[in-house]
Amino acid sequence: MPDELAVTAPRAERVVARDAADVAGFVRDARDTGAAVRLAGRGTWLEAGGRVAAARHLDLSSLTGITEYVPGDLTLTARAGTTLAEIADATAAHGQWLPLDPFGDARGTLGATLATASAGPLGASVGLPRDVAVGVSFVSGDGEVIQGGGRVVKNVAGFDLVRLTIGAWGTLGAIVEATVRLRARPEADETFCVTVPPERDAIATLLANVRNAALEPLAAELLSPACAAGLGLGHRPVLLVRLAGNATGVHHQRSTLSKLATTAPAPSDTWSRLAQSDPVAGLVARVSRRPSELVRLWTTAISLGDVDAHATLARGIVRLRLPAPPAHDLFGTFDAADHWIIERAPLSWTARPGRMAPASDDLSRRIRLAFDSTGILNPGILDL
Amino acid sequence: MSPLATQLADIVGSRYVLTRPAETFVYTADGLPGYRRQPTLVVMPGTRDEVVGVVRLLAAHKVAFVPRGAGTGLSGGALADGAVLLALHRLRRILAIDPENRLAVVEPGVVNASLSRATASHGLHYAPDPSSQAACTIGGNVAENAGGPHCLKYGVTMNHILAVTAVLPDGSVATLGSADGEAPGYDLAGTFTGSEGCFGVALDVTVRLTRNPEAVRTLLADFTSIDDAARAVSAIVATGIVPAALEMMDQPTIRAVEASIYAAGYPVDAAAVLLIEVDGLAAGVEPDVALVDALCRQHGARTVRIARDDAERARLWQGRKKAFGAMGRIAPHLVVQDAVVPRTKLPHVMATIGAIAARHHVTVCNVFHAGDGNLHPNIAYNADDAAESARVHAAMREIMTLCVEVGGSVTGEHGIGLDKLDYMPLIFPEASLAAMCRLREVFDPERRANPGKVVPIRSCREWAGVPATRVARA
Repeated sequence: MPDELAVTAPRAERVVARDAADVAGFVRDARDTGAAVRLAGRGTWLEAGGRVAAARHLDLSSLTGITEYVPGDLTLTARAGTTLAEIADATAAHGQWLPLDPFGDARGTLGATLATASAGPLGASVGLPRDVAVGVSFVSGDGEVIQGGGRVVKNVAGFDLVRLTIGAWGTLGAIVEATVRLRARPEADETFCVTVPPERDAIATLLANVRNAALEPLAAELLSPACAAGLGLGHRPVLLVRLAGNATGVHHQRSTLSKLATTAPAPSDTWSRLAQSDPVAGLVARVSRRPSELVRLWTTAISLGDVDAHATLARGIVRLRLPAPPAHDLFGTFDAADHWIIERAPLSWTARPGRMAPASDDLSRRIRLAFDSTGILNPGILDL
Repeated sequence: MSPLATQLADIVGSRYVLTRPAETFVYTADGLPGYRRQPTLVVMPGTRDEVVGVVRLLAAHKVAFVPRGAGTGLSGGALADGAVLLALHRLRRILAIDPENRLAVVEPGVVNASLSRATASHGLHYAPDPSSQAACTIGGNVAENAGGPHCLKYGVTMNHILAVTAVLPDGSVATLGSADGEAPGYDLAGTFTGSEGCFGVALDVTVRLTRNPEAVRTLLADFTSIDDAARAVSAIVATGIVPAALEMMDQPTIRAVEASIYAAGYPVDAAAVLLIEVDGLAAGVEPDVALVDALCRQHGARTVRIARDDAERARLWQGRKKAFGAMGRIAPHLVVQDAVVPRTKLPHVMATIGAIAARHHVTVCNVFHAGDGNLHPNIAYNADDAAESARVHAAMREIMTLCVEVGGSVTGEHGIGLDKLDYMPLIFPEASLAAMCRLREVFDPERRANPGKVVPIRSCREWAGVPATRVARA
């Protein structure tokens, strides 16, 4: 995405890494010369996180390829630049899948998904990067190749460098390879469109009923009218529910769901269309709090107007997709303790959400320096 | 009493500071047999403020300490060699249960099983279920990133920890993680989990609660060969069914259980049995049970018994959960080993373990989490017999080396502690071990929290030349 690079790093020196040794050499050289480094996969998400000012740009998108895949072990090891689409193709041939469904298109890379801890609707059940990753190799900010975890699904040997790296946004190291656990495809996997009443109290009741019913949804995502309209589901609030398992179980769950509200089958590509329908410009941000606060977050979000928003019920996350930043103070509209993650924001937009708690801030800063002693990797991307 | 003991007594009360050998003797061992280490004293705070006060006092005196929950750990992580033992079992209050958000906030000394009992009226439970769950504490579970049979479907401790408030070794209090949605920043709760007491002491832990399954079905399948049982495991997992638990016990284990008061009705002539649990919504469970039953038979199961009621189910599980205890009938001491191998390597690994055991004239009892390849090869022996002990340890080292050679790990749920320090360089390159040392130093620059555990000291290059006396002894 050269255009985006031009925007985010005007005069950046750009290097394409071919292997982990390339990455290590580049990082060591940058450290020795005190140059900040912007890490990038395929560059589809360069506007995510805080603004990074870096003179050098390390392109990891050529570190591709699945290095080990034993279907019987339900694990797969791939280089960081491997796309989720490539992993989906390889695993589908064995009736398996990697349950990571971050928003954006399937050209996104495994490394970026893990580095940013990006989860989509499946994050409500089986798709959290911290739960899916079992091993990582990364190049620290001091140019060392470090391995955390391993290739088996259960492992408590040593301190957990995997959880530390997932969601560190590259500030501790550049992930060069990762091992993830896969799942076997269930017999049935169906998505339903549930009609949602417009009133706040009625929404709250429906969501509580869905949460407490005899249902085990793989995903349950609430769509605003504008979001639903963009997916061809009509300009109305909709609850998308994905049910999976054996056919009898799915059939039974659908009956349960139908008793709560009007339920109709949704096209199977609804999830991928949701993931790929982000605005090309504007603001995309996630705001979250514990699940009991979701209705408040949701009501606040849709009070902004006819906005494109969707919410992951079980995680208490509302994701806003605004073609342009709102004229008023977006963060001020929400509670000061709500958490924000900025996925995309125009360069001109300087408003910022709050920060982490002071004690963990101090620990986080010291952890950063333990892995990147001169602080050259993605400076500014996290509020450290 | 030493001046330190007197000052500690001022914080926690004199009856909660133990200094005489007769009092501290019980604290010289944990669940790892064959090791005793003498703590300088044992201090047992009863409140969060007392814990913070104790840690600050120890920091002021630069005294090393070892946090301890119930002492059920199997890797020697709670052994204190010339350090203060900080026992947390008195902090056993459940601070909050939030059924709407399915979480609970607990003190570190809350016993694992008692948390699930306390949340049962809400239809919720705490999913990780180590075999020691009747005694082990949530704080200890967090320190070890404990597992258990039901972790196959529900995940290990790490997957259930949302936040931890911890007092760091310097006495500062930090909040790690968040139960409030997606907090930006490093996953410090995930990093703290499994840190084996080296990063600080949990003051409270926010855990995820899991809805009780609507239906639970437990099956026992018996096989005339371990290979067949292992292939049945792979076949079940390949269908997409994720059993709540998928456990294997071999013949020596079955015989030990059946000869004990925990007899569960396992067929004593079977080469191996699989204990399989399927749970979930009632309507979905029966087809899964039928498929699991059919797959076991296809792979050579002689019989597949499906528990008819809760009593039969509990009996089948009792044999599994008390298997380690049953092995006490064979010999006075027991090595409970813990390793992980890729599941497809199970037939090869089980056969090789058999050959290793035969060569060293020891009897290995295998009882393990087959679904995720987490082995527990156990050897009952007499630790007072030097020759036998040597054979046992030689066999164990070969078994661990085998697991590493096939791409596995040296521990799946018991931790490194003291017991497995020597194995760390087998699975991690020097740069990774050094990185772990640096991470530990962020939390504990003076190396006073559980010193000498998890990462071999020689791997910490920047520490080379730092005299051990830098850490004062109490």
